[in-house]
Amino acid sequence: FFILTMRSAHAICRSAQVASRRSLFQAPLCSALGGSSAVRTATGSTRGIQTSKADPLSKQYKYWNREESKHGEYAYLLDMSPWSVKREARIVSLSDPNDSANDALHKGKMPYSSQLLGVGETLDDVKHLADEKPNVIFASPSCPRACLVLPQVLEAFPTIEWVHVRSAGLDFLSPEELQTNPSILFTNAKGQFSSSLAECTVMACSYFAKDLPLLMRQKQAQHWEKHDVEELRGKTMGVVGYGDVGRATAKLANAHGMRVVALRRHPEISVNDPLCDKVMGTGKAALNELMAESDYVVCSAPSTISTRGVINEDAFAAAKEGMVFINLGRGPVVDEKAMVNALKSGQLKGAALDVFAEEPLPKGHDLWGLDNVLISPHNMDQTETFMHEATSFFLLENLPRFICGEDLLNLVDCKAGY
Amino acid sequence: HFLASARGGLLLRAAPLFSLASSARSLPAASTSLALLAHHRHRQAAPKTTLAGGSTMDPPGADAYWNRETSKHGEGYSGKVIKEARIVCLSDPDDKDNEPLYRGGDKLPEGSSVLAVGTALEDFDLEALKEAQPNVVFVSHPKARGPLPDLLEALPSVDWVHARSAGVDFITSDSLSSITAQNNVTVTNAKGCFSSTLAEYTMMACSYFAKDLPRLLKNKKAKDWDRYDVEEIRGKTLGVIGYGDIGRACAKLADAYGMEVLALRRNTKKSLHDPYVKEVFGLDRLNLLMSKSDYILIAAPLTEDTRGLVGAEAISHSKDGAVIINVGRGPIIDEEALVDALQDGTLKGAALDVTTIEPLPKESPLWELDNVLLSPHNMDKTATFSLEAAEMFLFENVPRYVRGE
Repeated sequence: FFILTMRSAHAICRSAQVASRRSLFQAPLCSALGGSSAVRTATGSTRGIQTSKADPLSKQYKYWNREESKHGEYAYLLDMSPWSVKREARIVSLSDPNDSANDALHKGKMPYSSQLLGVGETLDDVKHLADEKPNVIFASPSCPRACLVLPQVLEAFPTIEWVHVRSAGLDFLSPEELQTNPSILFTNAKGQFSSSLAECTVMACSYFAKDLPLLMRQKQAQHWEKHDVEELRGKTMGVVGYGDVGRATAKLANAHGMRVVALRRHPEISVNDPLCDKVMGTGKAALNELMAESDYVVCSAPSTISTRGVINEDAFAAAKEGMVFINLGRGPVVDEKAMVNALKSGQLKGAALDVFAEEPLPKGHDLWGLDNVLISPHNMDQTETFMHEATSFFLLENLPRFICGEDLLNLVDCKAGY
Repeated sequence: HFLASARGGLLLRAAPLFSLASSARSLPAASTSLALLAHHRHRQAAPKTTLAGGSTMDPPGADAYWNRETSKHGEGYSGKVIKEARIVCLSDPDDKDNEPLYRGGDKLPEGSSVLAVGTALEDFDLEALKEAQPNVVFVSHPKARGPLPDLLEALPSVDWVHARSAGVDFITSDSLSSITAQNNVTVTNAKGCFSSTLAEYTMMACSYFAKDLPRLLKNKKAKDWDRYDVEEIRGKTLGVIGYGDIGRACAKLADAYGMEVLALRRNTKKSLHDPYVKEVFGLDRLNLLMSKSDYILIAAPLTEDTRGLVGAEAISHSKDGAVIINVGRGPIIDEEALVDALQDGTLKGAALDVTTIEPLPKESPLWELDNVLLSPHNMDKTATFSLEAAEMFLFENVPRYVRGE
């Protein structure tokens, strides 16, 4: 028994050494000591935090993509080696305690060196936890008044270092609230929902290319008559807001033989992206150029101060003939009235909209009655498990990185609002 | 059923009708289905053909056909013109899509000429034509089944028939088989010309059911903001029955979507190294394919082997929530069994571009089923698709013919 325990102890020590060697390789110890040294300028990492050797993709796009990024790279570290742990995570969850999507967090096993202090929907539910010095907030928008509650909670808990939001959109928080305390890190679920949205985008394009509305009408009338269809191949897709959703869409568009024109605030990030034929910065001229060149325009931009209402009357006036407009970003990015006019006048061939300025879309809204519009109730990424997966991302990807003192994924630029 | 050879050859349609007797001899009669096919092949003599160089995307030894998206345009042949192509068209003289042929003169490729155009035997002056010794027949007329064998009988100098479409079931018949065998006539078609658009349609059909488009459209009518869960296509399995060019184009797209592709085809060896396919099945494993697929795509031609292939038995093996998509030919599915399965929920839905009878008769229950996406055999019908097919004949195959490739 003694020999066995010695052997197993030895084995554990050795594997721990291996693990810590690996962690050394991936996360230089020197920066673990202070957090503000040894900046790896190659990736342009901000805040002076060490850079991890995550996949090459994250060097260019510093977020986690559900389809392409590695999963659970750090899990083994936590199970094996206390040496990799740099700090403890004391988590407060601002969510509906009955939301089963969060079960992994609320009811499951927590990673080593982390604990869930409590769950609540209002400040009153959680303020008693202040004494335990929570440093992490996990906020799910299913918490009904997140936009009101979160700022209050941040005020009540001065020890918070990191807020992770379970959704990709952060527009439920005002820019002032995001920037109240510049030392707090915000992360979100960018990269989680893109695949399903990309599928939806191409479906919307085909919906118009093969003239599905006509097919539906003919079926109703039991009328069999051939009509010409269009190909997607050879057409141009314009992406307004080339983030992860935009990129996933570009991937599919490329597979279909389409040309992709992308528009984003930082075009230099995507200038070598093989999926784009053209990358442009923001600005009225660039947007009009994109509208004039594209047969299908997809808006996958977040709603921020700079994007609100940016796709307006002028942009629609510049639109190519027969253009189809698809919006899966946020309603406020588009001037809805201008869009309705463009649809009615025939300037736009059609539109497929998953998001609106006001949701649920009011029954009296013009859009319901337009024949050339495909409406979906902001559910084109709503798979059965998408929120479960978003919670798992926090638990299995970002939380371990926080505990190990690594760069967090999906950092939000609080000034920019996304 | 193709022989690879050092010499180039004409493009060959994949069907039991036009095959090489020597390959039939070399077939192992291991399974009953293979034995049946071998027997079937034995009945026909071999036309004189060999393989051409295939397109760059095919694994070596695969069918030699021209793919609109991946093959070179107007560059795949070389060498001197060694004979003439004297073409007779069994097509509608008013068919605008055949303009490149009818325009004639110097617009035609080197060494070729169009001798006559007609839709029926009476349209041709057969005596005069016979003297001119035509060697090529280009057929695009939907009612060509009757006249074609007679035309070939009257013009024994013809050694090549090209069908403008991919489907040749509009001209196949016993008399055609015997006359082409007797006169050593090669038959080619437009395989590879129409696949891309059909692949787009296939993915749209998958999305149609995955995102429950019928529900979206119903909700729109009722102005109902009903947030329901959608499905992803990613991670699902696409089973392709008839893994030819259309099947492969669909597999390419499905792969880009993150689907798993299973292929079923007569010659499994041809797809063993296909990077888009996870597993290849022979004809005898249809039920297995059905049991593993979330979306089943039928992209097969209509032949004696495929008629009624997907019947009640195959459908009964299908997975829960399976969707059938048919871009091949209607009679491949037993339509009654299909309707039953759609009505009782065995199948989640079907997307049919082809039906047993076209136009679909008003009495067909398919019109009224909510879970059916119907299209009038037009999902490859772009404004220029027939024109492009005629051009393919003229600028890809005719140049090869006149150079003896």
